Parts: sequence; C-alpha cells; structure tokens
Amino acid sequence: MFRFTLPDLGEGLQDAEIVSWHVAVGDRVAVDQPLVAMETAKAVVEVPSPVAGVIVALHGQATDRIDTGAALVDFKLDTDDAIAAPAPAPATASGGVVGQMPTSDHEISATPQRSASTAARTSRAVPAARDLARHLGLDISSLRGTGRDALITVDDVMAAAALTVQPQGSAMRPTLPATAGGEFDVLRSLRRAMAQSMSMARDNVMECTVVDDADIHAWESGNDYTARLLRAIAAGCRAEPGINAWYDATSQGRRIFHHIDVGIAVDTPDGLLVPVIRDVGNRTPEQLRIEINRLKVGARDRSLPAADLRDFTFMLSNFGVMAGRYATPVVVPPAIAILGAGKVSRDVVAVGDAIEIHRRMPLSLTFDHRCVTGGEAVRLLAAIIADLQRPN
Amino acid sequence: MAKLTLVEAINMALAHALQNDPDVVLMGEDIGLNGGVFRATAGLQQRFGALRVQDSVLAEGVIAGMAVGMAAQGLKPVAEIQFMGFIYPALDQICNHMARMRNRTRGRITLPIVVRMPHGGGIHAPEHHSESLESLLCHHAGLRVLCPSTPARAYGLLLAAIRNPDPVIFLEPTRLYRLARQEVDDDGIAADLDCCHLLREGQDVTVVCWGAATHDVLQAAHALESENIDCEVIDLSSLSPIDHNSILDSVARTGRLVIVHEAARNCGVGAEIAATVAERGLYHLHAPIRRVTGYDTVMPYFRLEHDYIPSVTRIADGIRETVQA
Repeated sequence: MFRFTLPDLGEGLQDAEIVSWHVAVGDRVAVDQPLVAMETAKAVVEVPSPVAGVIVALHGQATDRIDTGAALVDFKLDTDDAIAAPAPAPATASGGVVGQMPTSDHEISATPQRSASTAARTSRAVPAARDLARHLGLDISSLRGTGRDALITVDDVMAAAALTVQPQGSAMRPTLPATAGGEFDVLRSLRRAMAQSMSMARDNVMECTVVDDADIHAWESGNDYTARLLRAIAAGCRAEPGINAWYDATSQGRRIFHHIDVGIAVDTPDGLLVPVIRDVGNRTPEQLRIEINRLKVGARDRSLPAADLRDFTFMLSNFGVMAGRYATPVVVPPAIAILGAGKVSRDVVAVGDAIEIHRRMPLSLTFDHRCVTGGEAVRLLAAIIADLQRPN
Repeated sequence: MAKLTLVEAINMALAHALQNDPDVVLMGEDIGLNGGVFRATAGLQQRFGALRVQDSVLAEGVIAGMAVGMAAQGLKPVAEIQFMGFIYPALDQICNHMARMRNRTRGRITLPIVVRMPHGGGIHAPEHHSESLESLLCHHAGLRVLCPSTPARAYGLLLAAIRNPDPVIFLEPTRLYRLARQEVDDDGIAADLDCCHLLREGQDVTVVCWGAATHDVLQAAHALESENIDCEVIDLSSLSPIDHNSILDSVARTGRLVIVHEAARNCGVGAEIAATVAERGLYHLHAPIRRVTGYDTVMPYFRLEHDYIPSVTRIADGIRETVQA
C-alpha cells in the first residue's frame, strides 16, 4: 500500500482545505490524474496523483483542513515496487512561488564502500600503442612494457607482432633444395644461440672495424696474454668510458657502466661460449689469472652458472691462437665494442732507419658506429696499444 | 533516527549550528519569517530569534557585504543567495573580499562565511532560477565549493563548511531537495572536506558527477547493467578543491572516464577533471575522456529544460559509446 501525504504547497503554508474530490474509493487512477482540489490561503490548486493504482482510502472530505505532511490518499499500487534503482515518483504539483519541485519518499540506502576485491590496475600504455594493438588484433594487457614503470610503447606492440622498428634487410632467405645430399645437423644449444645472436647483431649493429698492431717485444717473461689484454681493455675504457656501455635503440640512449665486465670468447667442442669476468678494472693480475682459469675450466665442462654468461660490457676474442692476424669481429648487442687479438708473430719492423724483428700482436677493434665515433674508437685503441706495449 | 529529505537535512544542520555556536548568524531573502522559498530555514527564526536568523534586503551585494563585515568581526555568517542565478551582484564581495581576506591580511583575518544557494534547474522555474554557475567560483582562488548529493552528506558538509575558517560556497541541488529520504543523525559530526565519494562500485567505466546529476547517473548505471556495462559512479562532492587522486585511482582500474554535469560544457568543471586525468592518467585510458553536459546556451525555460539537462538516456548513450569505443 502506498500512502500519499499532502505535499508542501509552498510559501510556508502549513495546511490546506479540501474543496472537492475528483475520485472515490475503488477508482483506478493514472499517474498525474487530478485527485482533489485543495484551497490554500492563496489559491485553489489541483493535486495530481503521484502513482498509478486503485484508491483504497481518502483521508478527509470537503471542507476538512489537512496538514502538510498528513495522510491524504491511500493507494494499492499496480506494480510491485521492489526496484533496486532509485526511481522517483513524478513531480507533484506545488502551488509555491517557484516552479514545481519533484517530491518522492524514496529512501537512500547505506553509502557503498569499496569492496575488498578491487580490480587490478589496467596496464599502462601509450594511446598510440593501444590503437596499434587494436589494429593488429593483439591483447595489450598481455604485453610487457619496456618504457618507464612498465609503460607499453608502440615499439613493444610492434615487437610483439614480430615487426621491427628499423626496416629489415631483404626478407628473402636462401632455401635448401629438397634433394640436397649430405647429413642434416640441426643447430642445438650453443650453435643455435650463436645463429640467433649473430642474426640479431647483423640486423641491428652498424659495424666498423679498425685494425692496428701492438709491439710487445719489450714484454718481460711471465706475461699472460689474456690478463694483459684484459688490463689493456680496462685502460682503453678509462680513456673512452663511453664505449664501456650498452646501446638501446628503442630509447635511443647509451647506458654507460662504471664497472668493466669483459666477455671472453671461448671455443668449446659444443660451440662458442662467452663467460664474463667482472670488474676487470679493479682486479690485480693474480686475481685476473685465477678468474680466467676458473671460467675457462667451467666453460669447457659446461658447468658455469648463467650468471657468469651474461651482461658483459665489452668483449674480447683472442682468436689468433692458430692463425689469423686481423679480423672483423662481431659486436654482440647490447654491448658496442669487441677487441679481437690475432696471432702474435715476429715481424720485420722499422726502428729509426734500422730493421729489427719484433714480436707484435695484431689487434682488430669493431665498434657500433650508431653510437661510437671513429675518433672515440681510435683513442680507445691507442690506449689499449699503449698499455699492451708496456713491459709488464 | 529521522529519515529526512535533503532540504530537511540542511534545516537540521543549520539548527544544530545555531544551537551550539552563538556566533552563527543566518541571513538571506525571505529566510526568517517565511522560512525560505524552499523551507530550508523553516522554523529557525521562531526558535532562535530575529537577530540570529535575519531577513535581508532584496540586494545580494548587501547580503554578501554584510557577511564580510560580520565575519571580519568574529561572527560566522551563513548567507543564503535565493537562487544561484542571483549571485552576480554578490560576486564583487565574494571574489574581491571573501576570497582574498586571508591573503590580503597575511592570515590575520579569515572569513568563516558560508554562502549557500539552490543549484541547477529542473523545477520548471522562470528565468535566472535554474543556473549552474559553479565554474565561475571554482576558478577563483580562495573559495571552497561544495555540492552534496544526499541528505546525510548535506548535513555533514554544511556543518563542516560552517566550522571552516574560510569562505565556502555551498551548492544545494534544487532538484534533489525533496527527491529522496535518508537517515540522518543529528550528531553534529562534520563530514570530511576535500574528498569525493563512491556512489557505486564498478569495473568498466568511471563516471564522475555531482549535484542533481548524480541521481540520473545512478539510473543510467542501473539501466546499463542489462548491457553488461558495470559503472563506477563517483560523487565529486567537493568541486574546489577537486579530489583528483581518487578519480585517477578509479580510472587506473577502469581505464575509462565519463564526466556528467548539468552546467554548460565550455569551461565547465568537467574540463578541469578531463585535463588532469589526461595529464596524470593518460596511460591507463582505453578510450577518450567524454563529457556529457548541458549545452552552451542560456538555460532554457521549462518546456526545454529537460532537453538541456543531461537525461538518463543521454548519459547512458555517452557511457555506452565510451565503453564500446
């Protein structure tokens, strides 16, 4: 049952007098249908029905005075009113000063609190990245962002869609004819890793190689080639610290490191392995020798942990054990330089106007010309050579 | 506990303030003997006398100016502007003096004034009676602007406004004055200032609104449930300062934002919210921010009033387009 009370008719009026009813008990009325004429101190106003329903009771007769807020009409409603949403009764007439104030007895329930199970934050993505992901049919929430605070960038979306930012070389690849002879040996493990990392190096690095020789005829006995090369690399990095760095093409920046971690190419029966010797600039020759041996042994029997095989800031390839003077060694990103040391030979050299025979070590420095200039590279090489040419 | 309408809750808060703080003085046109055109101050002059509840002359500049003088001398005036549309003659006092007194005197004098007024349209009133001018006041430094949407919040925020040492503009959504009831305890507890309120929790889109629009937004949100769109509805409540952090937090969850206000679109408070979310929350957005607002015309008379005010349909359409963008 719905009880309609006399609404405030405005202007501070406390009550009104019933003039005449337009409906009777038992009548079915529609919303806004006039129910009764009421006389206030100012005027006679029509009071419309706030609801649709059947009249159950009328609380007064003609000439009765009804107080504002007192019962006026009782209804039996047409519909059940268990509505969750707020749905106010339509505006009731108000004979007041201004307009028509909508009135309703709808009750507001308790104020909601945020529930404990709050939805996770959406991923952060540049709007252009979202747009691109939508075009490519990718679910952006499944991508990992490489921007600050895991921001997903356009490059991340393109990488996920297996596109590269820079135009790749020809997409054509040579294919083996089906009827070729010989034995097929699928690349595994180290060889497979080499194929992948060299392909990536080829696609990204702008390689440039400069070669020279270090005259080591003054070396005293007891010098270890690898340890001397490592020390020379440290000297080179002190002269040109910007080359002891990683290059990030996506964010177009170099991450310059203070510690020098040198990856040493080691030839194993399974393929190329690059263990890393840490903080070369702060180790004594004895420490270097011990560490080199540890890494060489561990590389040969494949017992090195992953931590020893990653994140070098400079690379060394002492390839000249058997043959080979100069080479174009490959820069492996994100590092930007690699020093190749060739076979030490007794060379004929000019000393003043005389001819002498000196032992010399050929050196090949490949650098990433996207972020290293020729000047920086040769200054680094000069410092390497200067250090190598010292007697000890 | 009484179940009160919004206007009754305001009346209760004013009575509580008059009862408990002898410095509180009410003033405005027709508020004393008549109890106010919407009965917001009904019975108060009878209870507290004509010195505490004063009928003002028909001059908004005088009402505001007297409030400045009273407040500077230690009283706590609560001045009524009969309709927000009448505020213009009072703007000189509000902006050049109320908003500046603390700054001008380097904090020596603050003005604990509340200027309260009906806000917005939808009651079939004549010209100048249906305005939503909050942008003017939100833009002006030195003023707090509040707009409650429920009786309980109206009670708590009005008490907080009265007790605040600085001027507060208190907007009372006219269309909500008698539209719903809520239990309101006359406990004298002031609500927290400077924060917004969650009206409905949801996952798909954040809808920010205030005043009478909250009523229509909740209806739209309910209707959209059947379309599997789950709306989170926030009552801004404090229009100046805006609780941006809560909005940003919600948008970070939902990824979508719709702002609804009855006031005209151009330079509305919705633009401020949209700009801030674009600055600080851009990377969480899945779709452009959308505003559903009144039009950039004069507020029309009653035949067109409900075309101007964002309807439940127009709000639902805006939310739907944002979610399906």
